[in-house]
Amino acid sequence: MLLRGLTWLVLFQLLGTAMNVLLLPILPGPIIGLLLLFIALLLRGRASESLQVAASSLLRYLPLLLVPPAVGVMVYTEAILRDFWAIVGVLVVSLVFSLVFTGWLMQRLIDTRKRVGKDAS
Amino acid sequence: MTLHWEAAWQAVIHHPLFGVAITLAAFQLSYAAYERTRWVFLQPVLVSMLVIIGLLLACGLDYERYRDSAQLLTVLLGPATVALAVPLYLNLRRIRELFGPTMITLLMGGITATALGMALAWAFGAERMILMTLAPKSVTSPIAMLVAEQIGGVVALAAVFVMITGVIGAIFGPELLRRCGVQHPAARGMALGLTAHAVGTAQALQEGDECGAFAALAMSLMGVLTAVLLPLAVSLLL
Repeated sequence: MLLRGLTWLVLFQLLGTAMNVLLLPILPGPIIGLLLLFIALLLRGRASESLQVAASSLLRYLPLLLVPPAVGVMVYTEAILRDFWAIVGVLVVSLVFSLVFTGWLMQRLIDTRKRVGKDAS
Repeated sequence: MTLHWEAAWQAVIHHPLFGVAITLAAFQLSYAAYERTRWVFLQPVLVSMLVIIGLLLACGLDYERYRDSAQLLTVLLGPATVALAVPLYLNLRRIRELFGPTMITLLMGGITATALGMALAWAFGAERMILMTLAPKSVTSPIAMLVAEQIGGVVALAAVFVMITGVIGAIFGPELLRRCGVQHPAARGMALGLTAHAVGTAQALQEGDECGAFAALAMSLMGVLTAVLLPLAVSLLL
């Protein structure tokens, strides 16, 4: 079961890589694979159980898969430490502002829609 | 006899599976520590990273060697990215219910999160390489790393920026949103998932189902949009 879903995921990734080389050099192969799989699921109308099992098992271990690339930081330790506070400052300010803005906007839009819905009924 | 010990030790640390072994061990240890304490600063990826860097330095191995020997794990990142299509598809019904607000928030919030970070860094006089590395900071790491590589940033640094952003968002996000009067679970989830990706989504899941679902939705949509539009925008505008 798991293997069949995994096969599809790998196939779509390879399909994405082929498309990346042939047609769309600006998009990474796995992203094209993601879009293709999403379109395929829409067309098919359902996600098979084997695909769901494979996807959820892989995504459960996503943090583990991210560890080796993250270790690459050790190559840049000096550059990061040199600009540590500037980097953290930029990240904190932009995160705080965009987080509050996003939440506020979504809340406003939902409230507006509720009010409009009430007025109409 | 000392000679043989030395030879065995060298054979072990240069074995092609050594990287996989220390990654698996470090991750499970950090995960157990996080599970036990639930302390937000103990993000498993962050702690594993520090443990492995320590081990590599102690063994006198450089990053290139570790990267080669951990390839068994990194090669799965591609299929894992493809796998994000499945939760996205399964949440389609929820998206349809709040389609308008979700899409508007996604576009406005996504542009703000991306452009503000780049603008601030530009104002600080950061070079192009750093700008391109900062651009995908609000996106889940596999996508951020792919995008950073695509637009000329540093992949490993992008992962660090993503990590720092996620941890800050998960630590301060819920309290900030509460103080600003954002109570609707969908709105809180959107904010956490869009700006603080997987770490924010994990935080949102603790607040409840609806909040978590919207965080996962915002995270995957933001990831796809960034992956599709950011390289395009960069090649057109800069």
